[in-house]
Amino acid sequence: MSFSQQLPIVFEALNVGFLQTLKLFFVTLLGALPLGLLISFGSMSKFKPLSGLIKTVVWIVRGSPLMIQLLIIYYFPGLVFQNNIWGSGENGRFLAAAVSFIINYACYFSEIYRGGIQGVPKGQQEAGQVLGLKKNQIFFKITLLQMIKQIVPPMSNEIITLVKDTSLARIIALQEVIWAGEAFMKGSNGISGQIWPLFFTAVYYLAFNGILTLLFGKLEKKLSYFK
Amino acid sequence: MKKIIALILTTLAIATLFTGCGKKNQTDLEYVKEKGTLIVGITDFEPMDYKKGSEWIGFDADLAKKFGKSLGVKVEFTEINWDNKVMELDGKQIDCVWNGMTLTDEVKNAMSTSEAYCNNSQVIVIKKGAKISDTAKEGDDFKGYKFAVEKGSAGKDMAEKYGYEYTEVDSQAKALMEVNAGTANCAIIDSLMAAAMVGEGTSYSNLKYTVSLNEELYGVGFRKNSDLTAKLNEFFKTAKEDGTMQAIAEQYKVQAALIK
Repeated sequence: MSFSQQLPIVFEALNVGFLQTLKLFFVTLLGALPLGLLISFGSMSKFKPLSGLIKTVVWIVRGSPLMIQLLIIYYFPGLVFQNNIWGSGENGRFLAAAVSFIINYACYFSEIYRGGIQGVPKGQQEAGQVLGLKKNQIFFKITLLQMIKQIVPPMSNEIITLVKDTSLARIIALQEVIWAGEAFMKGSNGISGQIWPLFFTAVYYLAFNGILTLLFGKLEKKLSYFK
Repeated sequence: MKKIIALILTTLAIATLFTGCGKKNQTDLEYVKEKGTLIVGITDFEPMDYKKGSEWIGFDADLAKKFGKSLGVKVEFTEINWDNKVMELDGKQIDCVWNGMTLTDEVKNAMSTSEAYCNNSQVIVIKKGAKISDTAKEGDDFKGYKFAVEKGSAGKDMAEKYGYEYTEVDSQAKALMEVNAGTANCAIIDSLMAAAMVGEGTSYSNLKYTVSLNEELYGVGFRKNSDLTAKLNEFFKTAKEDGTMQAIAEQYKVQAALIK
């Protein structure tokens, strides 16, 4: 089969794979952004047992490889409790991957949030109190607003890493774009022994991360009203 | 106080997630019949399991569909990571591995395996024009060469048996890539795969396969102590007798390897 015959077949398979990559990326963001904030509150809590527990969880999640977490979350319930909670087929694999990624990224995000919140000068909160604002008004209208501006650069780092980390999910046979590219090395859809589709997947990541970088640049500009 | 209650509630919620409904006294056959599906773990492996449009076909896939029919359940194919096949089985993500699987000692120890239905062998793949290709007649002639083999594969077992110097890679395809790229002198892969991927008119036309190292057998794997294994052996027997197996084998051109 010539290259021009291969191209449309490979292209279609990679598109299907990248759609799965994107789905995992957006679902993870949607879950991890709010969960990370909750975890950061927990780790800053004055209630010692809670902050201690949360800090231990963050240590475990950040300290162990995501690949192992994926394997444990997907296989552990079925292997140990004889109860495969994920169901069968593609959907089960996606769900398990999404849960693993959300927990993992929420822990990283929580530390960025914590840095951002604690980086807002205490004088800002005191000013709020002087103005007679309530505690949650101070948080949402003063602290959170300034924190968001501070955390855009580290968050963009983490989010771009997330795009590429989604490729780890193929360890539990989630068929994302690298899985789709690798399939042509072994043989799929009548094409076998081809290495270029695997390398070509990098173009997808590059293009998508390019878009994200532009978006983050714009966001940063929009948030520059404080200075 | 509120915080403590919240803490207890979350712990309980997580705990209930994991307990739930695993029935322990059910046999595998009852389990599969109750849910109405037989989930077959496969990889994309022409001519055994491969995709035509959105449907899985191939010698193994077609037989698996027939087996499902005889049990009265739907057959679902799911692509797995071959390294995790035992975990997939024991974790009940899949119900059997049916994918041109060589019956190695490792496989036989970890699964309940069916009777063999196909012959296979491990062959050495080298570059065309390599010096060794004219002189080598048997496995021992390849000592001192650098090999690439798939990890956990029958090829790896052969490399160990003959005492080759070898590197383990992800897949048989990567092993071929290593030879093609010159990072290894030889690869050991399945003869069925070699016939499809190596030599004139294939994607690796600059490679060729030479010495065959062993004779081995393909079988189907179920969970340990599964009663589905006996059911499949019965099914194989009737499929051989009424010619179904031969017909499917001819359709996918693997009849030469079929065990009569």
